[in-house]
Amino acid sequence: MQISLQQIVPFYIDKSNINNSEVWNKNITISQGEHMHIVAPSGTGKTSLISFIYGLRKDYTGNISYDNNDIRKLSNESFSLFRQKNFSIIFQDLRLFENETARKNIEIKRMLNPYHDAPMIDEMAERLGIAAKMEQPVKTCSYGEQQRIAIIRSLMQPFDFLLLDEPYSHLDERNREKAMQLLYDECEKRNAAMIFADLKPLDLLKGERVLRL
Amino acid sequence: MPELNYKKIQPLIVSEKNYFSKWFGYAGLWIGVLILLASVQIFFNIQKILHEDNPRKNGFDYISISKTITNENMGKDNSFTLSDLSELKSAPDINNISPLLSNKFRAEASAGSVMPFSTDLFLESINRSFIDSVPASFAWEPGQATVPLIFSSDFLEIYNVFAPAQGLPQLSEKTMSSVNIILQCSGPLGTQNYRGNIVAFSDRINSILVPGNFLSWNNLHLTGDTSTRIERVYIQTKDANNPQLISFLDQHGYHLNKDKVKFSRVKGILQNIVAALGIFGVVVIALALMLFSFYLQLMIARSRDNLRLLLTLGYSPAWLAGSVAKTWLPVYFIIIVSAVIITQLFHFLFRELPFVNKDALSIFLHWSVFAVAILLLMVATYFNAALVKKELNKLI
Repeated sequence: MQISLQQIVPFYIDKSNINNSEVWNKNITISQGEHMHIVAPSGTGKTSLISFIYGLRKDYTGNISYDNNDIRKLSNESFSLFRQKNFSIIFQDLRLFENETARKNIEIKRMLNPYHDAPMIDEMAERLGIAAKMEQPVKTCSYGEQQRIAIIRSLMQPFDFLLLDEPYSHLDERNREKAMQLLYDECEKRNAAMIFADLKPLDLLKGERVLRL
Repeated sequence: MPELNYKKIQPLIVSEKNYFSKWFGYAGLWIGVLILLASVQIFFNIQKILHEDNPRKNGFDYISISKTITNENMGKDNSFTLSDLSELKSAPDINNISPLLSNKFRAEASAGSVMPFSTDLFLESINRSFIDSVPASFAWEPGQATVPLIFSSDFLEIYNVFAPAQGLPQLSEKTMSSVNIILQCSGPLGTQNYRGNIVAFSDRINSILVPGNFLSWNNLHLTGDTSTRIERVYIQTKDANNPQLISFLDQHGYHLNKDKVKFSRVKGILQNIVAALGIFGVVVIALALMLFSFYLQLMIARSRDNLRLLLTLGYSPAWLAGSVAKTWLPVYFIIIVSAVIITQLFHFLFRELPFVNKDALSIFLHWSVFAVAILLLMVATYFNAALVKKELNKLI
């Protein structure tokens, strides 16, 4: 599968400010197995770009296509299928069910289209150091713990593209390394592409294409 | 998706906590369904009860009609035209028609020494299939001296009523059948004498019937008049009490024997009452479904954030809508099935009423009651699912 971005420019951006952008108003193709790192300061549109690609927002000019299908023409039902099978996401604001437990949050996503069996949840939780938090309501967990819950949730389904919007902002370096390695391992299993947006380039990257917004 | 289970995400969708208004809605729906189903059954009960049975009927009613004579058309030609007959034949509630042809010659009958009286007669002929009892002997060929007659039972009854006052003997059907009637037919072109025998009595046709070719032969040879003038027509219909049929005949200015259609007005009124009840039932159902739609919208509004997140994570709007709608299915099923059971109980009681002919009504409900019940269940479920899907799509 392939994602194509053709001269995407958000409505809210002044076109005179995008000449130096390596993403806005450019033609970019992302294929499976390829990793892309989007680097940009706060407020320059990282979350917007991720939202555009995931189909949550349409306030842009230009075209985004999944395998040459213009996503503006997709129905809500079609998007739901893509999100079950082809796209997974870690939101910057996490978007967990706060009153539900960590395990329940992950299970809600897993049962939609399971790639892993339920015991894998515990395995990943152990790997990221949050095994003891699984039966706690998410709102009682720290932000860093919630980020790790969101990471595990995103890895429970099949995907061709994993979209990440500042997923490690509240993790220390050790936990960041563990999370990153887990993500690489899971992407490799699926031959999936990672589209990773953050404030600055990370040392942990392994030869991704880096584009500045 | 074998692991996908709505029950696991159901707690994320906040349900209505106002139990009073919820049960009020259930009660309203139940009453509406009961009224509608009962109306449907009563409608068919009326059809059965007010449908008269006549052993000679062969499943049809036969009604004699003629044009209504008013002050305006008195003295004019009030016979049926070909266009009138064509229109009658193609009317939706009329199966078949047969005009009555009458004698243009003078027919004088006497019974000789058996009964010391003579009278002028009107003779008519009609399509054989319209006569209730037609023996094989009801036939005539030119040259035949005897002519078979089919006599109206009503006429014999009238005769037997006035006979004693006139010093005449009352007669049985058997005696009448054995009487040789001297029939003198005369016209401008000549006179023919026949012996008439009554070969059958008719409960249906109030006339003195002769074979059609007897009438046409004597009309031609005694009067030379071969024109056809139709003053009376018999119509064959499935139900003489059909208000639509009576209305059609009234609108066209046709006079008919009201005794035959005595139930039509009653039937028409009852049908209108039942139809009004049925419409009221439908209105109550519509109001109850509207109330449920408010619940659904409130539920979706309260669960908006959770629902939006589920959709963002990849849950199908159609699946969510269907799953939410299905939670109402047991409620609708219980309401409709219990209404069918109560309707059946009402029907049992109705059959026991003194004025009802139990044999005319089946023990069980008419099939259309079940069809309406199933239709209501489908409509209610579809309505729910469509509403939820519409609300969910607004969230995306």
